[in-house]
Amino acid sequence: MTFTVATYLAYLVISIALTVWVGRTLFKNGRVFLVDVFAGNEALADSTNHLLVVGFYLINLGYVAFALTLGRDLPDLRRAIEALSGKVGGVLLVLGLMHFANLFVFSRVRRRANLGRALPPIEPDSCLAMGARG
Amino acid sequence: MTVRVPRRLVVLYDARCSLCTRARGWLDRQAKYVPMDFVIAGSAEAHRRFPDLNPAATLEELTVVGDGGQVYLGAKAWVICLWALREYRGLSLELGRPSRLATARRFVAWFSRHRLRFGVVPRVHLG
Repeated sequence: MTFTVATYLAYLVISIALTVWVGRTLFKNGRVFLVDVFAGNEALADSTNHLLVVGFYLINLGYVAFALTLGRDLPDLRRAIEALSGKVGGVLLVLGLMHFANLFVFSRVRRRANLGRALPPIEPDSCLAMGARG
Repeated sequence: MTVRVPRRLVVLYDARCSLCTRARGWLDRQAKYVPMDFVIAGSAEAHRRFPDLNPAATLEELTVVGDGGQVYLGAKAWVICLWALREYRGLSLELGRPSRLATARRFVAWFSRHRLRFGVVPRVHLG
């Protein structure tokens, strides 16, 4: 096995493991958040959570597959480690960006949901006795 | 004092001023958390629905009445209208803070005083 192939394999193992770990973290912790956002509607929260995580996996694994090719041979261990580091670094940055994008979406959805439940910021000036109609 | 949160609002607007009718049209088009009805201030319908309100006062200042009888005047009326709108509830919560409300009140009062200068709708039938 050449250094190049070994680097590819190491890259795939590390990247996929990282993606799965981040995806699972998102799945576990996002659920609590979404249940709150959807006012306790667990079925809707689970469904949304699942859809979000599927999108997350698709984008990340897509990137991992896309960025695999090195385009050059690696003659020794030093170059192999450098190349691997660069590739894994790229994956980590994409994962980080996706993670923050997800948090952003969550916080927006939550803000909206909280606004929907917000009471008026003011008390009325007076109150009429309401008859049959108003 | 805890007052029930309004679930429906009636906006009494001054049909003589074009700014007010345009504001009414704008409010009408917005997506809402709380539905709104519009009644011309000082009209027979306004009197029928709210006999206890002084018609002259409702022509003086924007008046909004909630379904629980809550009456909001001037700046507060604007704040409660914005609170009812999906896109502007955040703004309403900002403007409704005591520190901001004073400024909003001055601003709205100034506009109310000068509103007829921004255009008068000719020959309106209050009815």
